[in-house]
Amino acid sequence: MAENNTTHKWTMIVDLDKCTGCQACVVACHAENNVPIASEDQVIAGRGLHWIRIERYWEGEYPDVKAKFLPVFCQQCNEAPCEPVCPVYASHHSEQENINIQTYNRCVGTRYCGNNCPYRVRLFNYYPPKWDEPLEQQFNPDVTVRGPGVMEKCTFCIQRIRRVREVANAEDRPIEDGEIQPACAQACPTTALVFGDKYDEESLVSKMLPHERQFKLLESLGTEPAVYYLKGGETHVGE
Amino acid sequence: MPNVTRRNFLKVGAAGTAAAVLAGCSQEGERWVTLEPYVTAPEEQLAGIPNWYASTCRQCPAGCGIIVKIMNGRATKIEGNPEHPANRGKLCARGQAGLQLLYNPDRVTGAVQQSERGERKYKPIHWNEAINTLYERVKTAGPAVAVWTGSSTSAHLSDLFTRFTAAIEAPPPIRYDLYSGLNGYAVLAAANQSLFERAVLPAYDLSHADAIFSFGADFLGTWLSSTSYGVEFGNFRSQPYGKRGFLAQFEPKMSITGAKADRWIPVRPGAEALVAQALVKIIAEEGLGSPERVERAKALAGEVNIEDAAAACEMSPEELVVLAKAFAAADHPLAIPGSSVTGQPNALAATAAIQALNVIAGTTGQPGGMTLTPDLPVADLKIPPVSTFADAQQLIERMKAGEIKVLLVHGANPAYDLPPETGIIDALNAVEDVFSFNPMVDETAAHATFILPDRVYLEGWGYEVVQPGFQGLPMISSQQPVVPPLYDIHSTGDVLLAAVKGIPKAAEALPWADEVEFIKEMITQLPEGALGGEDNEVRWARYLQHGGWWPETMPAEAAPQTTAEPIEVSATTYQGDEEEFPYFLHLYLPVLLSDGSGANAPWLQGSPDPLTTISWQSWVEINPVTAKKLDLDNGTLVKIESPYGEVEVPVFIFPAIRPDTIALPLGQGHSDYGRYARKRGSHPLKLIGVQTDESGNNLAWANVRVKISKTDEKKALARLESSIPVEEGDHLPF
Repeated sequence: MAENNTTHKWTMIVDLDKCTGCQACVVACHAENNVPIASEDQVIAGRGLHWIRIERYWEGEYPDVKAKFLPVFCQQCNEAPCEPVCPVYASHHSEQENINIQTYNRCVGTRYCGNNCPYRVRLFNYYPPKWDEPLEQQFNPDVTVRGPGVMEKCTFCIQRIRRVREVANAEDRPIEDGEIQPACAQACPTTALVFGDKYDEESLVSKMLPHERQFKLLESLGTEPAVYYLKGGETHVGE
Repeated sequence: MPNVTRRNFLKVGAAGTAAAVLAGCSQEGERWVTLEPYVTAPEEQLAGIPNWYASTCRQCPAGCGIIVKIMNGRATKIEGNPEHPANRGKLCARGQAGLQLLYNPDRVTGAVQQSERGERKYKPIHWNEAINTLYERVKTAGPAVAVWTGSSTSAHLSDLFTRFTAAIEAPPPIRYDLYSGLNGYAVLAAANQSLFERAVLPAYDLSHADAIFSFGADFLGTWLSSTSYGVEFGNFRSQPYGKRGFLAQFEPKMSITGAKADRWIPVRPGAEALVAQALVKIIAEEGLGSPERVERAKALAGEVNIEDAAAACEMSPEELVVLAKAFAAADHPLAIPGSSVTGQPNALAATAAIQALNVIAGTTGQPGGMTLTPDLPVADLKIPPVSTFADAQQLIERMKAGEIKVLLVHGANPAYDLPPETGIIDALNAVEDVFSFNPMVDETAAHATFILPDRVYLEGWGYEVVQPGFQGLPMISSQQPVVPPLYDIHSTGDVLLAAVKGIPKAAEALPWADEVEFIKEMITQLPEGALGGEDNEVRWARYLQHGGWWPETMPAEAAPQTTAEPIEVSATTYQGDEEEFPYFLHLYLPVLLSDGSGANAPWLQGSPDPLTTISWQSWVEINPVTAKKLDLDNGTLVKIESPYGEVEVPVFIFPAIRPDTIALPLGQGHSDYGRYARKRGSHPLKLIGVQTDESGNNLAWANVRVKISKTDEKKALARLESSIPVEEGDHLPF
């Protein structure tokens, strides 16, 4: 049996030229990760729960106004500000996957990590999550449901990574590029999201990077995110 | 009963080989499942190891292929079918949310009867009694039976209903709902009939286009087939010709397609065709593009004032010339007529005027051009024709006049899908017996005498003749049960086949034992196609396993042929006096709730609308200048009045809308349809009358004027974005 125990650098590329804001990734994530839906009142109170959210920015004024979409989810920082502040090591770094892990049953709900995250991608369960019967029949058994008082966030669909690794180990072969698709990237109609291992030189993300349009969110903070954004373009005619 | 196991019921696993499947396919009545305890678990059922089954999405009429992940008998995730030529492995938010239709807590769990219409008190009845009652009432009614289906009703059921109505000499079923109405299916088909002599929906090959002119078509949101167009748009932006491509979007209010456009042009509602005609005329007069294009433009150019057209776009005539040049000089230009065009009084001519740009481009049927959905090579597998609004109206009048004794409703919700002005509720109540086959108590079922809930698509059989046919392909998507039915529920196909057994003529026309026998008979007529297969059994197995049937290459008929003739478009007219009703009303289908059929899923209700970031609510979008003039703030409740009705909604100040236009999303304002939908927001169809376009194909819903009056109340908006505005002059780094 092969041991796919080499370390990985899981990386996401978000092509803003292709993101249409359609929310397919948002709903796919809710389905895959058993993320509860916040009620109207909770959304009004600023407690909406989505592991991936599409931010929308306006630029310019009518009639030359533009809307720009920016999907934001856990940036899986190499120097994650959420990690050193957790008193119980619930937020910690996986050496093998090179992503930031949240251990739900260790979390005591201090919310220090959420406070320290500059991307505001950590979500706190203020209330017990609720699903009216039989909606809970849909739950993904690979992912635990988080109780009240627990922080949660995007995991790059770690359960999918693990499943593919187990299959690859059993079949005595390395993990192939593209075999692992987080639910968001899998759903995205325009393929604005591309996922892969940056340590694998043959992977699509490695081939795409460095990219002339690339940037990272709040790069100056030195958090070293594993998410690369590609700036959107604009085609002009008659100039 | 033959020895039938759970495996046979589920038919084909993604991992199953054709040979293994065949063993279970040889007996009649094989669809029935015998429930066995898991001590003798089916061999492919391993704890923790999912099975995947291919089927068809029914959340809109596009017919995308899906694969459903089954973990120990539960459906846990829906994904796009990577082999399907339409959606190519991708799936939109609505498609993902199909699981919340299957596991919706407010499903009707058996046949019920209602004695007082609209009282919403239901008495459970036994299915035998339900089927018997259906038989008796239909038999007594004779030809005074009508069938109302929706654009998402399975094509096999449409076929069965059509055979049924023909046999009892009743008019053919109506296939009309809000989605097909607002998106102008009937107009698009009629315009293609007049231009290309084929009454089918067009498909646009964005993948290989380099200039796209979309006239109000929100193809990335809710127009015809948003997932497939999403895939196409991704390809378009992948720079197939080494350049990004140019997308111009003409629409009064920015949609998500407008947000992705290189040029968003806030055209006056109703002036889209005028602009298209001006582009044609400029190409002809200025001799732009290749000589062939100029020739065709000359043949098609109608009378139009270019300055008027430019003014309607809030631009100078010179800028319009620049755009015309961009179209004419592109290698693969495309023009797309959208939903707001098809909701105008001059819908047919306006749509044809926009399609004329594709004729001028000369790329129809080629890469980067327009194709027309080809027919399948089997006469029995027809694209179900979508009814016109005039047809629907005619049926309503007959219902009101008491000419209809029995109405069967499947896959549509006429009480919600039509403006109240049509008198649809009175019409429903005037019918002696209304049988609703919808899986939930919707507004129509609330006025039904019987609800015989159909299985939802994840637990029932069917197929979809896919239109629009992307890549010029005729396609059929297979639908099979991926989980056993949750409740004691009989599929509508079987109920119909059983009920008509006692009506000799209908029994003769519908001789099948059950719907699966019918489906199999239809499907096995298909030739080999891309999936191959030596005989019927293998082809049937592959059809189920791979999610449908399609050929490898585009047939010739997908390439449209036309003889160019000048197109005259009359100026549009508006409903409502300009003085009294100063604003244009722009209705649209929002990305998540769409035509309101998504309103019962918490995932769709609770996810933010992309441009406003509002969830769970209704709102009205108003330009900041207009809002300032009327002293309106975010959340101010306003009363919107049209000549036909009024709604109250909170304001959302929206920078990307014309100051003379207000926009309202549809989808909310349900009085029924489950706990997540009920009593939430407003239903803007109240603002629409019953005027049709000149051809009678569509409701004229896009030319209504409204007035706004402020109330003293405010409503907190449930929006995801912060209410703290971005500093003025801030430049975004992306």
